[in-house]
Amino acid sequence: MPQQIFDVIVIGTGAGGGMAIKTLSEAGLKVCAVNSGRRLDPQKDFRNHRMPWEMRYRGFGDPQTRIPSQPDFVNTEYVSGAWEHELVHTTAPGTQWLWPRCSAVGGKTNFWGRSAARYAEIDFQAASLDGVDVDWPVTYDEMAPYYTRVEKMIGVASTLQHRPSNPDGSYLPPMNLRCFDMILQAGARKLGIPYLPDRIAQLTVEHAGHPACHFCGDCTSGCEVGAFFSTPWFLLPEAEASGNLDLRTNAVAKNVLLSDEGKAAGVAYIDRTSRQEYEVLGRAVVVAASCLETTRILLNSRSSRWPQGLANSSGQLGRNLCDQMYAGVSGYLPQLLGQPSFPDNVSDSSIAWMPRWQNLNHPREESFVRGYSVYPDGGCWEFPAYYDDIEGFGASFKREMKRRYPTPVSLMAQIPTLPSTKNYVDIDPEAKDSFGIPKLRIHFRWGENELKMWEHAKHACAQVLRASGGVVESVDEEPQLPGYSQHEIGTCRMGKDAKKFVTNQFGQTHDIPNLYLCDASVFVNGTDKPPVLSILAFSLRTSEHLAERMRWAD
Amino acid sequence: MAGQNVERREILRMLSMAAAAATFPAFSKWSFAGCSLPSSLAQIQPAVYQPLFFNAAEYALLERLASIIIPTDDTPGAAEAGVAEFIDVMTSRDPDLQRNFRAGFEWLNAHCKKLAGRPFLELASAEQISILEPLAYRKKFRPGEERGRSFFTLMREYTVMGFYTSEVGLKELDFPGLRFYAESPACPHQDDPEHRHLPPPQF
Repeated sequence: MPQQIFDVIVIGTGAGGGMAIKTLSEAGLKVCAVNSGRRLDPQKDFRNHRMPWEMRYRGFGDPQTRIPSQPDFVNTEYVSGAWEHELVHTTAPGTQWLWPRCSAVGGKTNFWGRSAARYAEIDFQAASLDGVDVDWPVTYDEMAPYYTRVEKMIGVASTLQHRPSNPDGSYLPPMNLRCFDMILQAGARKLGIPYLPDRIAQLTVEHAGHPACHFCGDCTSGCEVGAFFSTPWFLLPEAEASGNLDLRTNAVAKNVLLSDEGKAAGVAYIDRTSRQEYEVLGRAVVVAASCLETTRILLNSRSSRWPQGLANSSGQLGRNLCDQMYAGVSGYLPQLLGQPSFPDNVSDSSIAWMPRWQNLNHPREESFVRGYSVYPDGGCWEFPAYYDDIEGFGASFKREMKRRYPTPVSLMAQIPTLPSTKNYVDIDPEAKDSFGIPKLRIHFRWGENELKMWEHAKHACAQVLRASGGVVESVDEEPQLPGYSQHEIGTCRMGKDAKKFVTNQFGQTHDIPNLYLCDASVFVNGTDKPPVLSILAFSLRTSEHLAERMRWAD
Repeated sequence: MAGQNVERREILRMLSMAAAAATFPAFSKWSFAGCSLPSSLAQIQPAVYQPLFFNAAEYALLERLASIIIPTDDTPGAAEAGVAEFIDVMTSRDPDLQRNFRAGFEWLNAHCKKLAGRPFLELASAEQISILEPLAYRKKFRPGEERGRSFFTLMREYTVMGFYTSEVGLKELDFPGLRFYAESPACPHQDDPEHRHLPPPQF
């Protein structure tokens, strides 16, 4: 029997892949989705409504299987088996890079931070304003309708804010500010710094058939009622209902297959359990495995025809790796000492933010170009991580821990890195992962612009805290390690010139017309905003472009 | 797919199921921290626990240190929270912790013998405190006790981890989470944004 030929093979089921799968299958195309991990069972795999003492290691995870080089959430006991413990990258000398990978169906959307601001015209056309690097091949006006449709699909809570770097969208009622928010907002106001409800994809009311949030506050362990956007709750059910989706789980994509004519013909994957290699064939291929994994797959799809990696006639595949630097200032608000506890943790992350306020009047008013945003957080969290700020032991220590409980606050800057020729990825010539697939090698260092932003952010955050009547306890001496944000961007950049960019403005590779990329790898540069909402909007646009082309081809 | 169009009532049912299912099988060992068992202080007999890693002498020292760091006063402390059990379980799975705790205990006992002629547990309470204070308060630091200070930091860290992840520890803080709200809780002092006119501190 001849092998089935699908219309489209999609690698990955996260934000980019999930949107592509839904859009293409609802357009009547036969879609095969290849996902490296298993499906999660929210009732079983998410332990978000457990108290820490209900777990053997109190939620810290089994010390024996912890990977110290990975952030805590990879080792957590609150989620079983979603985060990969194997590292599939190496680092060049002088590079440190964290690469938390979520292989489960839905990828990192199962656990994401839900902050969902639109990119703005000053992000897309930043190069025209400040002369650094290149513009995106799209304008905000072109993207705005896609953002609106995505917001209506997923539900985003916020307010209209009328800020030049933060175009307003279509919003559900905002989350309410808590005591420490009100205090910090009053402090920020004195300095002319905005402190506003974030755009947050958490359902403050029922939305599009999904239940309203119950504000238990453990979102990053997964939501078993689907009250915030993730592809297994929002996009994949609709794709499955179309009857056009074949979802292959535990299928670790290895490389893209090429036809004799040089077009994408399918995907080779390894079954995680049997370790057998399989091929699945299609008329078009969408790679949406997350920025770095997509790049790794294309680099590993080398052949005599594409010795430097697939669709890499520009030589730009793997270049211009961008990240967001996270670094913060923490302290406490003495006003709240000894006050009764308050349910501050309603979201497991910030619900407010201090959106970019730098370089807005003039693109060069600061010593750096572009800008950063700050996420404030604090109050009564489950674990009192401020214990390090209190000296000593005994009854006085115990009392002080209690007095401080409502008071801690932190201000964390989200700082985009500028594209740089020094920051790139290639394939490690020797190291392979446990499936025999060559590992990615990462070359990355913070650049001058982002370090200047961090200096600026330190002062600004400390000022806001002091203007709020707060006490600064610590200023991060070092930012979080590169990769910590999981907001890597830009190794397959989009642009009109086929000699300088990997894809065109539709995420279609310049070299291979039936090969599309649907994740943050196509983004031109990072911004002060997190990428997920934009990944969804670009993926929607790319998928409709592809569906239209395939309809036309028929 | 299950979960779409879930009624609020259904959510509450699922949540109560999750809470019931949460009793971890190995829970008997966590008796003093667990919610499924009576929490009255009379029930507490930490000696029943069979340590997985530490020997009896080490375990007794561990318990004493944890109780000094977070004592039982008008509210439960490390003893009632099963902190020593927590540290033993974590340590049994971590060779680095094993080395660090064991070396720390040895340092502490040798240090006590040098200063007071007896190991830590044989000292009077007040003497124990005066041995620990120079390891814990910057103003009282003494040269030559660097290893002791880093051990005390580790001991304190794990005591805090164990205590504030137990039921009595989170009750001590009145942890308000994992409850369900119809809308996100808002600051109740809307007319006092800077919070300058709050009622006097309760604690």
